[in-house]
Amino acid sequence: MMASIVRTEHLTKDFPAGFWRSRPHRALDDVSMEVGAGGVFGLLGPNGAGKSTTLKLLVGLLRPTTGFARVFDRSPNDPKSRERLGFLPENPAFYDELSAEELLAYFAGLCGYGAFERHERARRALDLVGLSEDRHRRLRQYSKGMVQRVGIAQALINDPELVILDEPMSGLDPVGRHDVRQIILQLRDEGRTVVFSSHILPDAELLCTRVGILAKGRVVASGSLSDLTAGAARGWEIVVDGLTDDAAARLGGRVRRTTRISDRRFSLELPAETRPEALVADLAGSGASLVSVTPLRATLEEFFLQVSK
Amino acid sequence: MTPKVAAFAGAIAIVVGLGLAAAILQASESRAAGPGQVERLLYVQSAKTLQRLSLGFDALIADLYWIRTIQHFGADRKSSRTTGRFELLYPLLDLTTTLDPHFNIAYRYGAILLALERPEGPGRPDQAIGLLEKGLTSNPDRWQYAYDIGFIHYFYTFDYAAAGRWFDRASRMPRAPEWILPLAATTTARGGDRKSARDMLMRLQESDAAYIRRAAERGLLQLRALDEIDQLQALVDTYAADHVAQPESWIDLMNAGVLSGVPADPLQVPYVYGPATHRVSLSPQSPLAPLPVGLGRQ
Amino acid sequence: MSTRRIGLVAWHVLKQNIRDRVLYSIGAFAVLLVGASIVIGQMTAGQDLKIIKDLGLAAIELAGVLMSVFIGVSLVSHEIERRSIFNVLSKPISRWEFIVGKYTGLVLTLVMNVAALAIALYLMLFWMDATAAEPVRRSWEAPATDPRLLISILLITAELALLTAIALFFSTFSSSAMLSAVLTAGLFMAGLESGALRQFSQMVDASAMGRVVSAVGWIVPAFSLFDVKAEVVHGIPIAAARIWLPIGYAVVYATVAMTGAVLIFSRREFR
Repeated sequence: MMASIVRTEHLTKDFPAGFWRSRPHRALDDVSMEVGAGGVFGLLGPNGAGKSTTLKLLVGLLRPTTGFARVFDRSPNDPKSRERLGFLPENPAFYDELSAEELLAYFAGLCGYGAFERHERARRALDLVGLSEDRHRRLRQYSKGMVQRVGIAQALINDPELVILDEPMSGLDPVGRHDVRQIILQLRDEGRTVVFSSHILPDAELLCTRVGILAKGRVVASGSLSDLTAGAARGWEIVVDGLTDDAAARLGGRVRRTTRISDRRFSLELPAETRPEALVADLAGSGASLVSVTPLRATLEEFFLQVSK
Repeated sequence: MTPKVAAFAGAIAIVVGLGLAAAILQASESRAAGPGQVERLLYVQSAKTLQRLSLGFDALIADLYWIRTIQHFGADRKSSRTTGRFELLYPLLDLTTTLDPHFNIAYRYGAILLALERPEGPGRPDQAIGLLEKGLTSNPDRWQYAYDIGFIHYFYTFDYAAAGRWFDRASRMPRAPEWILPLAATTTARGGDRKSARDMLMRLQESDAAYIRRAAERGLLQLRALDEIDQLQALVDTYAADHVAQPESWIDLMNAGVLSGVPADPLQVPYVYGPATHRVSLSPQSPLAPLPVGLGRQ
Repeated sequence: MSTRRIGLVAWHVLKQNIRDRVLYSIGAFAVLLVGASIVIGQMTAGQDLKIIKDLGLAAIELAGVLMSVFIGVSLVSHEIERRSIFNVLSKPISRWEFIVGKYTGLVLTLVMNVAALAIALYLMLFWMDATAAEPVRRSWEAPATDPRLLISILLITAELALLTAIALFFSTFSSSAMLSAVLTAGLFMAGLESGALRQFSQMVDASAMGRVVSAVGWIVPAFSLFDVKAEVVHGIPIAAARIWLPIGYAVVYATVAMTGAVLIFSRREFR
């Protein structure tokens, strides 16, 4: 069994009290989790749950109050732990007066690459995120979406085995989010481990193999996505057109609920046991046509709301 | 190196470093006072120029110059240089009072410092009077300045007529205390005597400025020393008359039962008896030296 | 390798500053000041050389101090405020390498700027020398293009290196760039007048407070050590120790400040 790439044990983080607060603010409380190699791990939770705090603890920007974290089996305080790691902070900011290529070449140099290779890597990373044309423009002139993409590029500059992304989709338009999703999937396909945090659950559903859910600094659930949402279908929803009222009435117990959408269009909610194909075939016989079939599964969102209470 | 060890080592390095830096600073400063430096410069000589440069922060810069004045006096007082002692004192005081013409302590204490006789001070009562007169130009109602000028004439220039005139002028200024009027009268009439001097110093002792109180206290101790020297001299002369021969030292007087111990001045420094001159005097080591000349044997 | 990473950070600082418009404003201000002195010089009988030298050295020092304070503080405080520091620190670089690299870059920037201003000053002095009449030239206390001015400039550079280390120190723990700048400027002014503090115990009656104030006077960095402007302008010879002791002081004290900066920055957390 391969050792986990990221491991935290009883990780607790208190922030000192403000001037008028009597007790320190506990941002993380006894967080223990493990991320194995490969796959995409989603760290989820509402705002203020402690996701960013956890990720910053992994890269050494914060230090634990008690407990510890291990990255590649080293303490995050050890710079060597970051040699094979790439990090994208939330709402990243960079040195505005540099161009994208200069910035990435600088970072590549910090990761140990020689003079020529730095620029090579910078160009390739910018290519990957689709910023080749703008690579000589000063970052000051970049839009928010472009800055986010530069952020992803710099996280990948050293070919990292582990990529940590804090809210990578924030501030992006749908096209941007789609691109980022594609990149994450590509990283997964290349065999890298991706850890990202988000409060947007549908994204997590599409990308993650495993998730950890934080609320108020504590782990409320963790495991593989499918386990958590107990993949079994709750039932089906079919929309049919051309259904006569008698035919609808005759459906009886096979249908849990019938909703009229318009004159002859109905939405039928079926229990899990009922096979939709059989029902549709029957209805076709009486002149109805199928518009859509949708499985009703417990979504991550419902699960999340449940555990967050 | 674990973080704790590193922090500890770093703290030690910082303390050692600060100590080393202070040592270098000390070395550099002591060199600056040495004979290598021929001339000391006042970067801005003209008070008018300084005013223009001060950009409205006159009072603050006057404070800085006042600090420099005290520093200069203190540094020269302690140094062993023989040339140019206190040479910047008057220019600095002039600059300070031009920037802030109402800088009271600069006038009064500055005058005291300027008038102090060598080697304690520059021995320039003329400059002291000049400074106080400048103070009167900007502050014509300050009877203290007029009084101080009179005092300087009394103690340092022995121009009793001028002293009397200044006391008189002071007495006619607003809020002048009543005791100045008789002072004016007696000074003009009697000239220099210790009683008037003692009266003047006791008045100065009531000043609300600590510097001036201390200067007055010192003056009173000097007067006391003068009295004691007179008394001791009388004992010596009596002994000489009784025993035909002059005493050789204090021991003779103690053996004769005239004195119970070696006499010391108000600051516990033994008086000096010169066997050749047969005269009692203040020890040159005494902090009260030199005694005011004009109030000698009375 | 440490040196390579430190060099990278330093080089980046240089690049940042070369493109920074604030730098040019300060430099332009300094050159303008010296240019103005030529105008002033026309108005004061025969004193123009002294005035140009005085103003030139003062402008170099003032411009340098402004640069030290503002850039020194923005190097770290500003980056922390903007959070652009997160990206660098999440690379395999140690905290101390980062700080030392920043310091090196800033000192190099200052040296470059001081050199540029010094060249400008010398050009102006050269022009004065070339256009002056012979009797005027004979009245000068020191030659126009006196190489001794470089001694003052060297000490000013040492002073700036020390001030920069202190600016960096403050910016490692203070959370706002403005506060760091104020603290640095404050310590600078205190250091200029620290002689008064050192003599305090001699000026007041012996008391615990007098001793404490004097002690503070010895600990506060003594920036007055580096001032030989008056001597070089008047052509007064300067002892070698008057040059090496202040430089030694700057080296030792800057090391102290940087040690403190490294210690604090190593423990610094970034929310």
